[in-house]
Amino acid sequence: MLMLLAIGLPLLGFLVLGLFGRRFKEPAPGVLASALVGLSFLISVYLLFVGGERFALADWLPGIPFALNFDHLSGYMALIVTGIGFLIHVYAIGYMAGDEGFSRFFAYFNFFIAAMLTLVFADSYPVMFIGWEGVGLASFLLIGFWYTDWKNADSARKAFVVNRIGDLGFLLGMAALYAFFGTLSISGLKEAIEGSLVLPAGLGLVGLLLFVAAVGKSAQVPLMVWLPDAMAGPTPVSALIHAATMVTAGVYLLARSSFLYVNLPDVSYWIAVIGVLTALYGALSALGQWDIKKIIAYSTISQLGYMFLAVGVGAYWIALFHVMTHAFYKALLFLASGSVIHALNGEQDVRKMGGLKKYLPRTHLHGLIGALSLAGFPLMAGFWSKDAIITATLTYPFGGLGFYLVALFTAFLTAIYAMRWYVLVFLGEFRGQGHPHEAPPVMTVPNDVLAFGATFAGFLALPEPFWNLIEPFLAPALAEVEAHPFAPLVEWGLILLSAVVALVGLWAGYTLYADYFKKKLPEWYRAFERAALEAFYVDKIYNAFLVNPAKETAKLLGLTDRGLDATYAAAAAEVGVLGRVLARLQTGYARFYAFLILLFAGLFVLWGVVR
Amino acid sequence: MIHVLIFLPALAGLIGLVLPRWARGLGLLATLISAGLGLFYLLGGPGMRALVEVPLLKEAGVYYAVGVDGVGAAFALLVPLGVFLALVALPEAPGRMLALGLLMTSGLLGIFLSLDLVLFYLFYEATLIPSLLLLGVYGGENRVKALIKFALFTLLGSLLMLAGILAARYLGGAETFLLRDLLAHRVSGAAATWAFLAFALAFWVKTPLFPLHVWLPDFHAENHPSGFADVLGTLYKVGAFGFFRWAIPLFPEAFLALKPYLLFLAAFTALWGAWIAYAQTDWKRLIAYGALAHMGIAALGVFSGTTQGATGALFLLSAGALYTGGLFLLAGWLYRRFGTLAVAPTHGLAKHAPALAAVFLFMVLAMIGLPGLAGFPGEFMSLLGAWAASPGWTLLGFLSVIAAASWGLTAYQRLFHGPPGQRVADLRGEEWVYAVLAVALIAFLGLYPRLVAGPLAEGARALAALFGGGQ
Repeated sequence: MLMLLAIGLPLLGFLVLGLFGRRFKEPAPGVLASALVGLSFLISVYLLFVGGERFALADWLPGIPFALNFDHLSGYMALIVTGIGFLIHVYAIGYMAGDEGFSRFFAYFNFFIAAMLTLVFADSYPVMFIGWEGVGLASFLLIGFWYTDWKNADSARKAFVVNRIGDLGFLLGMAALYAFFGTLSISGLKEAIEGSLVLPAGLGLVGLLLFVAAVGKSAQVPLMVWLPDAMAGPTPVSALIHAATMVTAGVYLLARSSFLYVNLPDVSYWIAVIGVLTALYGALSALGQWDIKKIIAYSTISQLGYMFLAVGVGAYWIALFHVMTHAFYKALLFLASGSVIHALNGEQDVRKMGGLKKYLPRTHLHGLIGALSLAGFPLMAGFWSKDAIITATLTYPFGGLGFYLVALFTAFLTAIYAMRWYVLVFLGEFRGQGHPHEAPPVMTVPNDVLAFGATFAGFLALPEPFWNLIEPFLAPALAEVEAHPFAPLVEWGLILLSAVVALVGLWAGYTLYADYFKKKLPEWYRAFERAALEAFYVDKIYNAFLVNPAKETAKLLGLTDRGLDATYAAAAAEVGVLGRVLARLQTGYARFYAFLILLFAGLFVLWGVVR
Repeated sequence: MIHVLIFLPALAGLIGLVLPRWARGLGLLATLISAGLGLFYLLGGPGMRALVEVPLLKEAGVYYAVGVDGVGAAFALLVPLGVFLALVALPEAPGRMLALGLLMTSGLLGIFLSLDLVLFYLFYEATLIPSLLLLGVYGGENRVKALIKFALFTLLGSLLMLAGILAARYLGGAETFLLRDLLAHRVSGAAATWAFLAFALAFWVKTPLFPLHVWLPDFHAENHPSGFADVLGTLYKVGAFGFFRWAIPLFPEAFLALKPYLLFLAAFTALWGAWIAYAQTDWKRLIAYGALAHMGIAALGVFSGTTQGATGALFLLSAGALYTGGLFLLAGWLYRRFGTLAVAPTHGLAKHAPALAAVFLFMVLAMIGLPGLAGFPGEFMSLLGAWAASPGWTLLGFLSVIAAASWGLTAYQRLFHGPPGQRVADLRGEEWVYAVLAVALIAFLGLYPRLVAGPLAEGARALAALFGGGQ
């Protein structure tokens, strides 16, 4: 029942703030919302200590229970969601100060937490789907938070509709699972699949359909187009939903279903392919962005690609390890960006920044730590988890050398764009106007905590011969996979190689972008930058070949539908005598029709009697 | 008691016709009592209860036979409840219009609770009269055209059904028109196929399914802008129920032979409706096409012949009026404010009318099947059943969920998002009452569908048992 409380508290916050928010004075709604999320965090910690719990309501729908399960995996995710969520809530008290929709913002924020917790606690797929679409709705509401601007509203809708493509995959996947096993309980399915000797031949289809769902939610190629636009929401939204938590739901879904994927090498291979492609695509696109948040947004796409790569090769716990470290440093990067935007009164173009190290010393430190962690600077959190993924492409059963090489190259690009972001924002001369001012403590203190995590969280899981706390912790909830680890010497050799790649990338980024605006770059690089700025025109292609045709078709079908009408009318006219008689019956008087009906009914009864 | 349940709204309606000023108050009372009785039956456990069999025309084998099973109970709760909510939402509507709606309510309850085929037919046709009057008297500019179309399609369908009804009894050799008698003496062979087709055509019109749905958009567009007739019209789309209760059980073999085509038709209707909805610029047409898509999904569920599918379909039919009807009523509120049903008479309305915006979004979300709200259980169970019958057609039909998100959010945003435009009043008085009740009910049914889905599954199992399923 404590799980219901953990979900219920933020839900209550949503209802109270949604209905009566206007009666509260700032910052009360923010404090209330943060406190409720904090309480959910404490409940999650408590539940972890007492070893979890289960909740089930049988026959919620015929044959489908409403089931929740707090095990190590959901507990791990709940800590990330509520822990990082709490910090971002607190930060938002400062960031959203003075906004007209202050309490509306926190109502949505709390709703998101409630939906996300439903998603991670779920022990049956339909329940997970409630959370799944719930977070999608929260995302829609928050992207379009400043709805008076059409652009924001459009971005919000785009996010929801693109996600719906994935959701259709989820729905059909559930239907297929139900057809095979007659249940949608996750633990029930786990038992059924682990216990059966022969698996249904169509199981690959199930894996594929659930993967489609994950692709939508986690913004993987080819459904990644909504995430950069999602930056239209306030920056804490980008940090919480579109970086730290919601977008990792796809990874969570796949990891939660690892009992399924471990039996599906072919599907797993494709997950890894999509993952590594997404990682590369995101990194390349990030190199061309000028919006401080969009650089990080593409980086999120790229990092999510790494997580999918990990899931694909079978390294489920490593994917979740990266979910955690990424949550720290990516939330930090966004919130640091938020502080910068805040300091510059809404300016988001990095070309009008620079030199902020001097004005925003604390935020500069946060940005530096976040960027280094993202870049995989040795010993930082992002270094350990990303390196674990890169190595896993060689040691886990579904991996391969190709994955390794692309992943390593992408790590190099990651270091470059991370440094590019840092240099353009914080180093050099200030290129904007006004006098930037450091953020208040309510914003900087949460960032201090995140910075701590972004630096040290990686030490929770180190390679042999050191300790690894995460793998054994998550093992009971994940499928067993037999990895073939290298000898420690080889492994550390590879780690050294990644470290060198990251350092070279950072150096390359620095030399390329320090004094960037005074440099004359080769034309091919300019061309590349232009293409990267447009994210290689994927959006434009989709619009031209899918979205607009679909809209036009809607109009065309509408006309056809009206045309059907005319066809009937014409057909009626052609019937001739009968048509004319019938036409005469069409007096248009309702009472005449009523009479007709009664007449026929009466005749019928009469006929029955006489007979 | 069951007679009170069925006929109390009609009584209120008859008084209301004479004393229009009393119509709303009496109607509220009557529908509430009916719904209360429905709830009583719903909570009363499984099995057929309150069975009444009185010979109407003994010689002809026509009985006044009604009874409440799980399926009936769900409708007995949700039909009057839907009308009750509509009455709450419409303090200023003409009394006689409401009275006609109350007459219709009893007709609908009769349709859902009849256990004699002729009685079913009588209710089925009798309900048409107030429905036509609602359209004919209170309709819009082009009501005559809409009315002719609606009446013609419906009447042609029911004439065929009449032939089917006769065939069902006399070719099968049953003594009476009682459902149980007819089930004991099924028609077989080629005759069954023809008889099934006769029924199917009537229900095809009334579900409605492509291409016999063309009356639907005009029907809604031309009905009274308050949305009252549309709520009842939504409930009156009983085709899928007709398949469930009569056509399929009476002619299972004929149905099986035609099943693949019917499934395709249902799936196609779903996608067709949802896709077209996107391009509509009038609220009523928009909702009509959106609801058409739901009917396609419901039909997929019924045609699957599975417990899950039929449960889902019946859930869609019974609970659908809450949110589909709700959206019609909200469109009516817009009409009251703007004097038009155009989707976006202004923009940025959320700024001035945040509560209206919230209720509107809620209804749209319920309608597009957001899990946790009442639109989802029906859609989801239909999906589970349909997939078992035909994954391919299921995929086709459920592409509509993507289209639904597009039309739902696009329409909502065009009106409520963007720079603030014309200023109008936010929710007031009765609108608040309606909004709170409807939202609570829709969320409750979404979060605790068991209340309705369990009893519905009882009937659905019986259907699935015909085809070897039904666990």
